[in-house]
Amino acid sequence: MKELKILYLYPDILELYGDFGNIQVLRYRLEQRGIKAIIDSYSIGDIAPDFTKYDLVFAGGGADQEQGILSQDLLKHKDNIKKAIDDGVFFLLICGAYQLFGKYYKGVEGNIIPGLEIFDYYTEAIEDRKKRCIGNIVIEANLNGNPTKIIGFENHGGQTYGVSSPFGNVLFGNGNQFGALDEGFFLNNVIATYLHGPLLSKNPELTDFIIKYCLDRKYDENITLEDLDDTFENQCREQLLYRFLNVS
Amino acid sequence: MKNFFIILITKILYIILKIAGKNGGNFLGKLAYDWNSNIFHYFKIDCPIIAVTATNGKTMTNNAIGYVFKTADKKVISNIEGNNMETGILSTLLKSCSLTGKIKADYCVFEVDEGYIPIIFKDLKLDTLVILNFFRDQLDRNGEVESLILKINEFLKNYTGNLILNADDPNVARLGMANSENNNVYYFSVDQYDYATKDIKEAGEGKFCPFCNTRIEYEYYQYSHIGKFKCPNCGYGDNEIYKFATNVDLKNRCFNIDDITYQIRFNSIYNIYNFVAVITCASLYNIDKEIVRQALSEFVLNNGRLEELEINNIPTIINLAKNPTGANVSLRILNEDDSEKELLFVLNDNIADGFDVSWIWDINFDTLNNVTRIITSGTRAYDIAIRIKTSGFSPKKIEPYLDLSDAVKNLYKTDTKKYVIANYTSLQPTRKEILNFNQ
Ligand SMILES: [Zn+2]
Repeated sequence: MKELKILYLYPDILELYGDFGNIQVLRYRLEQRGIKAIIDSYSIGDIAPDFTKYDLVFAGGGADQEQGILSQDLLKHKDNIKKAIDDGVFFLLICGAYQLFGKYYKGVEGNIIPGLEIFDYYTEAIEDRKKRCIGNIVIEANLNGNPTKIIGFENHGGQTYGVSSPFGNVLFGNGNQFGALDEGFFLNNVIATYLHGPLLSKNPELTDFIIKYCLDRKYDENITLEDLDDTFENQCREQLLYRFLNVS
Repeated sequence: MKNFFIILITKILYIILKIAGKNGGNFLGKLAYDWNSNIFHYFKIDCPIIAVTATNGKTMTNNAIGYVFKTADKKVISNIEGNNMETGILSTLLKSCSLTGKIKADYCVFEVDEGYIPIIFKDLKLDTLVILNFFRDQLDRNGEVESLILKINEFLKNYTGNLILNADDPNVARLGMANSENNNVYYFSVDQYDYATKDIKEAGEGKFCPFCNTRIEYEYYQYSHIGKFKCPNCGYGDNEIYKFATNVDLKNRCFNIDDITYQIRFNSIYNIYNFVAVITCASLYNIDKEIVRQALSEFVLNNGRLEELEINNIPTIINLAKNPTGANVSLRILNEDDSEKELLFVLNDNIADGFDVSWIWDINFDTLNNVTRIITSGTRAYDIAIRIKTSGFSPKKIEPYLDLSDAVKNLYKTDTKKYVIANYTSLQPTRKEILNFNQ
């Protein structure tokens, strides 16, 4: 039986906006295909994991005030994380986790929370605490040459700059900053994005893209994933794309 | 003089609204508040003011306290329709006062939005504050629960009135320490019930001790993060309990306090907490225990809050769920009922619901007990269908309908017992559609 090993970072701290649902969706789509999902979690106080031993690393979004504590802990694993990324382990990073993999996060008071500096984008909080990019969002990403519409929900005060290779073009919503043209960061085996929803719940193509990548890498093959019944997902996408973009 | 005219004008408008068959909601209060935001000063209220606040259960508890006091022949002024912000409370006062701003009543009982306690009671003297729980709401999913609690804590630092607190919610019990000079803090608690668990079953908030940041330990969880807890480091959680409910029996809908058995019309652990708060409050005002018992045995709320109906002879239970805890409470009741049943879940994403529906992923849909079919509806019918499917419930038994009347029609194709969960803006339309279906 094939299996994928998933590392879920800080599930007790990065637990806002239902991001945990991404793990559930991954597990569901793996198990429906007879692939075992092994899900380990790591949080502050646990024994350090070896990131290179995993096929997929996932981290979600949390409250702004917890970014500092997380940054301190995450920095302890910097070299190991860097090695895992270079090895090709897939990283899916949402919102706060997206920000922490960049150079830094500059808070409202000008305080700097250091990032892992694995990528060279950086994030600055908007001065007015009440102003946030909040709402439904649709972007178009390129998954293995296929332009794919990705639907999610964004809720962030931080404005991310200096992204060299974005996850997608914004079709509806804000993106990396207020009114931005691009959203997120995507380079080889790393997708970092502001999209909650949870992200994978409404984007089965994206989920399968990640699953295929992980299986192909682990088992050195070019797998064709078995189709699943995505009736609800397709109905949902059709309804929402029509509502947000006026297209069917 | 100005306030006199504000009251006169709002009273005239109220009469016009009544003739037009309208209630007005917050309208009168908003008008008066915009005119003079200090108008709360003007009211002369000699009777005790009781306020109820919480994330969930404000309306139920507020109305139950009012009902108990009315049963004891007291004149009560209350915002029973649930308009719970400053303009809503103001509307209630404007409708009931004399032209000179005098309120003639034995008690004022108000449910108050968690964020408005410090604002409203800056100028109105509060006699008793009841706090039931703090959960994450769908609108403020950004660590806002903590800042809300801190604001109330700040208000309580100079408050010496009665403070009735749920001892089993670590987010609430901590407020008893806000003012060490206040000797009027009363904790209530409920003994472990049959479906309590050792591990947390639903998303919760109170993970760390508010005083020393140590991870809080639980002896048991009743639901969400409500349960018997203690901080292993500083001992927080060990409070003297004023009213303690025991022998909770949800099948027979009863529990005991001080050797009296209270029979109620509801079958959820969540309501037991609400009613223990009511009993605590009634006790502080020396309401005869027999009257309290009698009142609680009759009290129902026909507005879609755990409302039980017969639709074409099919038992139907409707409940509001505007956040994960509300939905989890409904699913607890469903799972504690062994009979075969079908579920209708209606999910909207209108402005009052919050546009973000990701909170449905914090609902525990695992191992639903004897549910044979699930219908979903609302503007996010497909989102909730995907959510339920992903939890392992067979998609073949899930039917999404964007159109609510289609959903209700298909729900009643079978005569199996129905559970209905609806979020904020979908509740009344759903209730109406179901009631219309009754022949
Ligand atoms: Zn402690």
